[in-house]
Order: sequence, then C-alpha cells, then structure tokens
Amino acid sequence: MFSGARELGAYQDEPPQLPSGSFGKNAFLRLGFEPGPHRSVLRTLHRRAPLIVQQALYWDEEMPELPCVSIISNAGGILQGDRNIIEIDMAADAQAHVTTQSATRIHEMDANYASQTQQLTLGAGSYLEYIPRPIIPAKNSRFIQSTQVTIDPTATLVYSEIMMPGRKYYRDGEIFQYKLFSSTVQGARPDGRSLFTEKFVLEPDVHGLARMGMMGGFHVFGNVIVLTPKDKADALFERTQPAFDNENELAFGASRLPHDAGLIFKVLGMESAPVMAKIREFWSEARQIAVDRKVPENFLWA
Amino acid sequence: MATPMTMTTEADSERSLPELLYLLQFADSALPVGGFSFSNGLETAIQQGIVDGPATLRAYTETSMWQAATGDGVAVLCAHRAVMAGDVDELMRIDRLVHERKLNEETRLMTVRMGKKLCELSSGMIEKPLPRDWFQRIKSGETPGTHPVSLAITLATLGANRRDAFGVHQYGVGNGVLSAALRLMRISFVDTQKILLDVTAQVGPTYERVADATIDEMASFSPIIDILAAVHVKGHVRMFMN
Repeated sequence: MFSGARELGAYQDEPPQLPSGSFGKNAFLRLGFEPGPHRSVLRTLHRRAPLIVQQALYWDEEMPELPCVSIISNAGGILQGDRNIIEIDMAADAQAHVTTQSATRIHEMDANYASQTQQLTLGAGSYLEYIPRPIIPAKNSRFIQSTQVTIDPTATLVYSEIMMPGRKYYRDGEIFQYKLFSSTVQGARPDGRSLFTEKFVLEPDVHGLARMGMMGGFHVFGNVIVLTPKDKADALFERTQPAFDNENELAFGASRLPHDAGLIFKVLGMESAPVMAKIREFWSEARQIAVDRKVPENFLWA
Repeated sequence: MATPMTMTTEADSERSLPELLYLLQFADSALPVGGFSFSNGLETAIQQGIVDGPATLRAYTETSMWQAATGDGVAVLCAHRAVMAGDVDELMRIDRLVHERKLNEETRLMTVRMGKKLCELSSGMIEKPLPRDWFQRIKSGETPGTHPVSLAITLATLGANRRDAFGVHQYGVGNGVLSAALRLMRISFVDTQKILLDVTAQVGPTYERVADATIDEMASFSPIIDILAAVHVKGHVRMFMN
C-alpha cells in the first residue's frame, strides 16, 4: 500500500536477503478486546511472526481489570523489506493497554525500506491505551508508517509515540542519520467523517531536523494523541500546563485537535527517560479523566 | 547567506505590468485580511528567549516558510489547479484537508479567519463568479474557508500562474513573521529587510521541491513551533492572536 509513496521512490530495490514482504517479513497482528463479566478480555488473537503476542496479563495495580498486552518481536527489530500490519479492535465498552516489550529498533538498511500499517478501531464507550516503547531509527534506515484510527465519539484512545534520534550512544553517536521516517496518523468517526491528520516526512539529508522551530537542540520527540469526548478533552486541557523547562531540558504542550476530537501533546527532550516520564504524567491525567483511575508508578526495572 | 541577484530582464519577462502589480497587491502586508494579528508562534519564541536576535530570527523565519511550503504551499498549488479545472468539489476537499491538518486552535483560527477575510475582499473586488460563490460557501459553513484555498482562488481568478501564487503565499508567511518581529523585539528594519531578501531567495528552490506534490502529500514537522503555540494559547500576556 505504500509502494506508491513519493518519499519511497529511491528505495524500491529489493534486499539481497529475503524478498520484501515475504515469509518472516510480513508480520501481522490482530488483537480484539471484548468486555467480560468482571474484566475485559483479549478475545481475538491472530499473529504472524516476527510479531508475537502471547496472552493478556493483568499487571496494572491501579486498574486490575485492564488486560495488558505486550507486543514482542522475535526479529530483534524492523529490517529492510519488512511490511508489518497491526490491527487492534475494541468492542463496545472494552478496555485494554497495549505496549511493546522493548524499544523498536529500525535497523540499518542498504536496500528497500520497512513499513508498518496500524489500524485502531474503538467501539462505543471503549478505552484503549496504546503506548509502545521508543522507536530507534538507525543510520540509513527508511521507515514509513500509517496509523488509521476509527473511533466512536464516546470512546477514548491514548496513543503515544516516542522517537529517538538514532542510536545516540552507539560508536560516535547517531543523531538524525536515518534516511527517511514518514508518519501519517489519521482519525475518523465510524461513519467515515474525518477528524484530523498529522503527517510528517523526515529526511534529515534533505532538510535537517536540528533547526530552530523543528527539533532545535532537542533529540527525543514524544507525541501523544488523546481522542476522547469534548468534556473530557476540555478537562485534560485545563490540567495540562505547557512549558519550556530549560533547567530539565524539556519542552511540552498540548493543543486541541480539530472537530473536538481531543488533544495532541508534544514533548521534546534530550533523553528518553524524562520524555517518557512527562508522557506518563499526561497519560495518568488522561486515564483519571477518562476512567477515573491513576496510572501506577513505573516499574523499578522499566 | 549569499543572495543570488538574478532578476528577469525586461526582454524576457512574460508577465504584464498589471499581472505583476496584482501579485504585489495581494502579497502586501497592508492587505486587510488580518495577517498582522498573528505572529506564527514568534511572540512566545521571543518571550522564551528562543528568538533573541537577527540570527535566530532568520532561522525561525526559514522554518516557518519551509513548513508553510510543504503544507499550505502544496494546498495553494493544488487549489490553483482545481480552480483552473473548474472543480469546486476538489476545492472543498482541499479546504477540508488543510483545516484538519491544523492541530492547534490558534493556527486553525488564523487560517479560517484570514481565508474568510481574503475571500470576502476578493468577492467584492473581482467581477468573477468563483470568489463570490466560494465566499457564500464559507459563510454558510459548507466549507471551512482556509487561507491557502482563498489565496489560490483569488490569484488564479486574476490570472496569476501557480508558481506566482505559491510565491505570494511564501512571501506572506516570511513577511508576516518579520513584521511581527519588528513589534516584538529590538531589531532594526535593515535586519528584517535583509532577512526577507535572503529568505525569499530560497522560495524558488523550495517551489521546485513541491511543484508537483499532491494534496495528500502535505506534511509538516515543527514540534517546537507546535509547543510554542500551545504555550501561547495558555499565555496571559500577549499582543498577538498567535
């Protein structure tokens, strides 16, 4: 579906390894959550390696009825020629938390590209937290991702992404040395009415990112989209104070999305941990407003 | 930064004098469409000390213009094509796509306020049906009425070509930031005019990069400006809408 994208024009050569999208390079996940008598359950699970999901666990101490799912990759990351698909389907009133086991490494590439298509569907009154660990795009990698969200006006989605500049502490340090990172997130109602679109095409060789107004001197980019009914979005907006915090080298702020779809919260920092901590704060506020529960303290080892 | 000083000589200029003057009129910052009430995040950037002199102001202006080129600038080009094809449905689609890519309330307000004002102005000035028809659609709420679409309708109706319409748009963005700077920080006219001269020299190469982009290819990435806009919305002391 991406092969026609202009930014991929230079990267159509087939990898010398397995052909693009072939066995082992066409990971697929479909997760379907449904409400149960006491807690939501992972009712549908289709998987094709290298993406793996085992079962839902209930590890959230503040929300023990919340099925938590960790997406595992047994490929050690995303490689050239990979074509991943992830679908998450929330039945009416279902709740779930989906994350990844570790950072998603987009490995060095010398041919082709990797793509990931995500489709999130949220039924009436459902609640989904999709909070993967950071993405690390290595030198010369080319990655394109499209995320399509279809959400009922009564549902809530907390969707976050953290993008590292590269393998910051590998050898001399990789800061924005990837070739391409293209991302599109689109939100729509079940009747097809579109809500918002965020698209960026980052090609550091073509237009550097360390510019004033773009990344400036920052290295880590966190982006959280909270789609929720207007009264909840208003309450969350009220509680969120934006700032340029020079002392802690952090900048963050929330804006209201079009069509009263919710909020978009951006965080910039130098390292992943403070950005993740700031996102955790915002996510906890969002959870309290949406389902009246806090987010537990981070695991000591996380 | 060197400014290439090549200008079209009289002999090979294909543009008539009225055509040139139309462009000047619609690129003029005195055009009453309300552009002067928006600083494109600059007010907060100055308050935060991110922009504090000619060098940082130049960088800020360049980023604003680059983001405008790959986003709204593409919309100007696509809307101009749609005007030429007489395709109002396509104009409405472009208008909607521009609006739903404005992810901050002030940037949304800015584009629809300026778009509506501009269209009102051109529908009163230009004896052609499209600006009037489009203004009706904006007033009735049928379409959001974003600025790049109104600009493309106005300039295309006056016979300006696509590239010139793009140029007027980019000039408006750069000039808007720089005129706001004069009112917000200690900087000389010579500095802002010098920056304007330098950044307008980059509009040609930028145009070449986006000339054939389709509307779905609109993209932008300016997290710092996005956060500045978020800070500005919550700000108490402010002179500009944004």
